Amino acid sequence: MTGAELVFVPLGAVALGSSVLVVTTDQLVRAALWLVVALGALAGCFLLLAAELVAWVQVLIYVGAVVVLLLFGIMLTRAPIGRSVDLDSGNRVAALVVALGTAGTLVTVVVGGFRTASIDLGDGSAGSAGTVGAGLFRYWVLPFELLSVLLLAALVGAIVLSRRDIGPRARDGGED
Amino acid sequence: MSGFFSQAQQLQAPDVAYQAVLPMLLVLGAACVSVLFEAFLPRERRWGWQVALTVVTLAGAAISLIVYGNDAPKAGVKTFSDVLTIDRPTLFLWGTLLLLAFGAVLLIADRSVEPGGAFVAQAAIRPGTLQDRVQAAKVGMQTEVFPLTLFALGGMMVFCAANDLLTMFVALEVLSLPLYLMAGLARRRRLLSQEAAVKYFLLGAFASAFFLYGIALLYGYAGSVKLADIATAAAGTNRSDTLLFAGMGLLVVGLLFKASVGPFHTWTPDVYQGSPTPVTAFMAACTKVAAFGGILRVLMGAFASTNWEWRGVLWGVAIASMAIGAVLGLTQTDVKRMIAYSSVAHAGFLLVGSIALTSKGVSGTLFYLLAYGLTTVATFGIVSLVRDADGEASHLSQWAGLAKRSPIVAGVFTFLLLALAGIPLTSGFVGKFVVFSAALQSGMAPLVVVALVFSAVAAFFYLRVIVLMYFSEPAADGPTVTVPGAFTTMAITIGALATLVLGVFPSFALDWAGAGGFTF
Repeated sequence: MTGAELVFVPLGAVALGSSVLVVTTDQLVRAALWLVVALGALAGCFLLLAAELVAWVQVLIYVGAVVVLLLFGIMLTRAPIGRSVDLDSGNRVAALVVALGTAGTLVTVVVGGFRTASIDLGDGSAGSAGTVGAGLFRYWVLPFELLSVLLLAALVGAIVLSRRDIGPRARDGGED
Repeated sequence: MSGFFSQAQQLQAPDVAYQAVLPMLLVLGAACVSVLFEAFLPRERRWGWQVALTVVTLAGAAISLIVYGNDAPKAGVKTFSDVLTIDRPTLFLWGTLLLLAFGAVLLIADRSVEPGGAFVAQAAIRPGTLQDRVQAAKVGMQTEVFPLTLFALGGMMVFCAANDLLTMFVALEVLSLPLYLMAGLARRRRLLSQEAAVKYFLLGAFASAFFLYGIALLYGYAGSVKLADIATAAAGTNRSDTLLFAGMGLLVVGLLFKASVGPFHTWTPDVYQGSPTPVTAFMAACTKVAAFGGILRVLMGAFASTNWEWRGVLWGVAIASMAIGAVLGLTQTDVKRMIAYSSVAHAGFLLVGSIALTSKGVSGTLFYLLAYGLTTVATFGIVSLVRDADGEASHLSQWAGLAKRSPIVAGVFTFLLLALAGIPLTSGFVGKFVVFSAALQSGMAPLVVVALVFSAVAAFFYLRVIVLMYFSEPAADGPTVTVPGAFTTMAITIGALATLVLGVFPSFALDWAGAGGFTF
């Protein structure tokens, strides 16, 4: 076992354990914070696999932006601090069966597919920002630009669905 | 600082065959301009500018496509570092998409059938409130549908030209997201429309996840997301087939969902019924073209060498789709839901052509897509004309005796339904003929027999509507048939004429469809 593997196993265990806590805790804010731990541990795993850029993106976007968005969501709605008894649904057994079934299938497929495969990480430059950036702007420049088109469409859609009375105020409508 | 710039110079930009991709660039560029129109033009002038921009764009893209297509290399062009392939099938699919989108845009732009257009004035107002009743009487519409249509069209064009799975996935999202949004913007029956949008979004997200997971497994198998590399890896290796077939299965489920092939069709009836009818026309015609373009390319490009392993499964899927469409279509009482089930049955027929994996199969499927799309746009144009006080009268019982009220509309609708059923002298017959003969040639005789049986079953529910229109007494408080404005008339005329021309003189379109094969 190399040093990287020795660190990988506990990181994986932390990610798994905190994900379980995300769905089992009955305090909403704590669930969001456990999510930070789970996503952070995953970022550590990426780092060990020499996927430097992916790891930082994981930290910036998932640990940073997404969780902050979640916390804002909690804060701006009912802001339930403390235990919420109504978080448990009657369907937990069914959900558990589906989750375990999916996990079992995925693990079987991946283990069956990659049992003998091994990748030499080399000097770790394969996942560096420079390599990924060069690939992104040389080979994948069209999908990259298309993603910006997608974001623009999403932006237009969000405005259509959420904002009313743009421009001159409708006098006959009134506010609710 | 100087180091930064010298690094930037080292980065080689990919070669772009601008002439070949001009139609796609025009559509996406015009979509961005159209967003600027929304931002800077006063509301009352937006509709005119948007319609003009969209029509000019589609015409410009079509012209540039024709100019390029006349002397395009037969082997096709790969561009953007091999991310896109502009070969003969791509050119045909792009032409089909532009033509169908033109028809759909005419329906979207129409403001005479429904005063103010089929779209809500302000989507953010909650349905059923006082404000909602006030805005229902206003004539304005949410003109953002025009940029959204162009975005979706651009995504479709990339989707059927994409040469690798990653580009395909991004294009899939670009084409889907605007459609989710547009499904929820109906002026009438807003709750039904919003329900359709949410359903389409959730199920679509689910299908995207399948697609993405399939890509991940295939990447694990082949070490690349390019179709050609997957084909090479599948052709001769001792790698475990688990990843290949698990990946392919998930990928194909995602694609079949978009094409509304049964049993992955569950969203289709609800979304077709709830969406504004022009959007349904756009969705039914163009999404199907893009999705089957993608299916053809993926099956031919990446999985052709392993077809003995998976073809049987897709036989089953095709039969299931035809059975679901034909049998459940019989039980429908709503015109739009009935056409939705008919589209599921048609998806099954198209899949028969797609799994033939021969050049005949490809050209047959391409022709079928063109014919089916044009008929569908005209069909939904007619559906939008039959109205009562609550908007469209889509319940079948309201269509009783329509021929007595409006012989022309009933006549055109009858013709279109016959085309959907595949009666000779319509494009539907030629489409079925070329697809089934291609399937026969590649040794799928039992599947063709099943398909023929189901087209006979499906013909029954089209005939039922025809009988209802001609031989029933009209109800006393039945719907009226609106006299359509120029836009809708034009869309219906184009669709119906093309259905006739492609049925009587199909050879020119068949030549285009068969002008060349895929390049990978």
